[in-house]
Amino acid sequence: MALTLASSPAFAQLARRNPFSIGVNEGAVGQAGRLGLWLLRQQAHFYQILRVGVENAAHNPSALFSLALGAFAYGVFHAAGPGHGKAVISSYMLANERAMNRGVALSFLAAFWQATVAIALVGVASVLLGVTAQTMTAAAGFVEKCAFAAIAGFGAWLSWRKGAALAAVFRAQAPQNSRFRCDDGAGPHGADCPHCIAPDPKQLGEDFSWRQGAATVLAAGSRPCSGAILALVFSASLGAFSIGVWATLAMAAGTALTTSGLAAAAVLFKSSMKRLLGAQSRRAEIFGRTFEAAAALAVLLLGLSLLLGLWASGG
Amino acid sequence: MTLRLFLTILSLAALAAPVVFAAPALAHPHVWVAAREEILFDSNGDIAAIRHIWTFDEMYSAFAVQGLGKDGQPPTREELAPLAKTNVESLADFQYFTAAKTGPKYHEFGTPTDYSLEADASKIVTLRFTLPLKTPVTSKKPFTFIVYDPTYFVDIELDKQMPVVLKNAPAGCSMSTIKPEPLSASETSKLSESFFSGLSPGSDFGIKLATRTLVVCP
Repeated sequence: MALTLASSPAFAQLARRNPFSIGVNEGAVGQAGRLGLWLLRQQAHFYQILRVGVENAAHNPSALFSLALGAFAYGVFHAAGPGHGKAVISSYMLANERAMNRGVALSFLAAFWQATVAIALVGVASVLLGVTAQTMTAAAGFVEKCAFAAIAGFGAWLSWRKGAALAAVFRAQAPQNSRFRCDDGAGPHGADCPHCIAPDPKQLGEDFSWRQGAATVLAAGSRPCSGAILALVFSASLGAFSIGVWATLAMAAGTALTTSGLAAAAVLFKSSMKRLLGAQSRRAEIFGRTFEAAAALAVLLLGLSLLLGLWASGG
Repeated sequence: MTLRLFLTILSLAALAAPVVFAAPALAHPHVWVAAREEILFDSNGDIAAIRHIWTFDEMYSAFAVQGLGKDGQPPTREELAPLAKTNVESLADFQYFTAAKTGPKYHEFGTPTDYSLEADASKIVTLRFTLPLKTPVTSKKPFTFIVYDPTYFVDIELDKQMPVVLKNAPAGCSMSTIKPEPLSASETSKLSESFFSGLSPGSDFGIKLATRTLVVCP
């Protein structure tokens, strides 16, 4: 897994910042097939619509609706690229969530948090303080560094919890003849005697907490995206910052649609794998826990490699 | 039995996890450039340098000029000088987005000179810099070059009207541009892939969309 990470061209390219980067790394386009090309074309197309839309809406507020549509569509296609917390959200889903609607809610919250970060960054730095491109790039770079640290921290915390849960499954020895039955205290042993094959899910932190949800949203959405920053700076330069804000929010809605689709797919994949292995079986439990621990580790590795990439680029 | 099962599942998980987060790394262009290129010949008729003239799109231009310029006027060349320096210096890590070759041999570049960033009346920004070849190259053999961002963060397209100008060229020199069509028959894309393969392994996407320029002198 770590090898896959290291060999991924996106991470190799992270080591160097693009000369025209606006502070946040967008990764590289690796080997792209026809679908990838098609996606790129769509994004480029809607990006142009976005730019023209901002221009039109700055002069004529009635163009705001078509701008919002263009920005939304751009968000949908753009979210298919790196960033936008897809990795974090879907790994979190694999590691933790079983409820699809909560996954969708988290995806939307992360997308709108991401929009908020971009709006705050440009609003303060560009509109209020009137900084130059270099200062803006440095500020965006700093925000990105914090965001990557948040991903690594979140991954470490998740790995700790999921690792413990996995260990607990293995500690629970399978009894000789009855495979799937928990002692209920009626037999020769008490209910607390560790004869349970699968530990009670509730003891493994299955319950959803808002603190945990907030941590996911923060880790997934703290890195602003270049497209939003550019659109905001552009609209501010036309004296219509609010137009850029609306466009960014519409973009976030589009991004959320794609990421929540991925989150839903992650939940579906996990539940169907467990069903395949037989619900309630020890096998399914081990599979589930292993998978969750691996996904948690993936978030940690992702955060670390992003940080390492920044460090290597001297950022 | 349990161990084997566990190993199977573990390897499954290890296989599946990267799919989720290392899935196709598709950045897309955030910056658009309309490029004009000048091929500078020396007094011997050799190719000495490539001068890049890159005009940026409205959004990146707005980003570049933010906080500069007084009373709504476009910023001066002097005000933009620090950004020009940053841009050109960091281009070194990316081989200046330029690949030039004669036959199978790729040429090396020296340090860029004469760089500037200028904003026109409508605040559209143009970056100019001269990229010297480490040693001048004969123009007697076909010389090809492309301008592209390997990461495809920047979409560089040659200007429609005057894409490439030969400066101080010996009589009879000509140039032509070839635009690849990556979505057309696989033959074409294979050709361009093999033609420029080995330039930047793993991140050669921008190259597939880049226009090649061919310079031939008698």
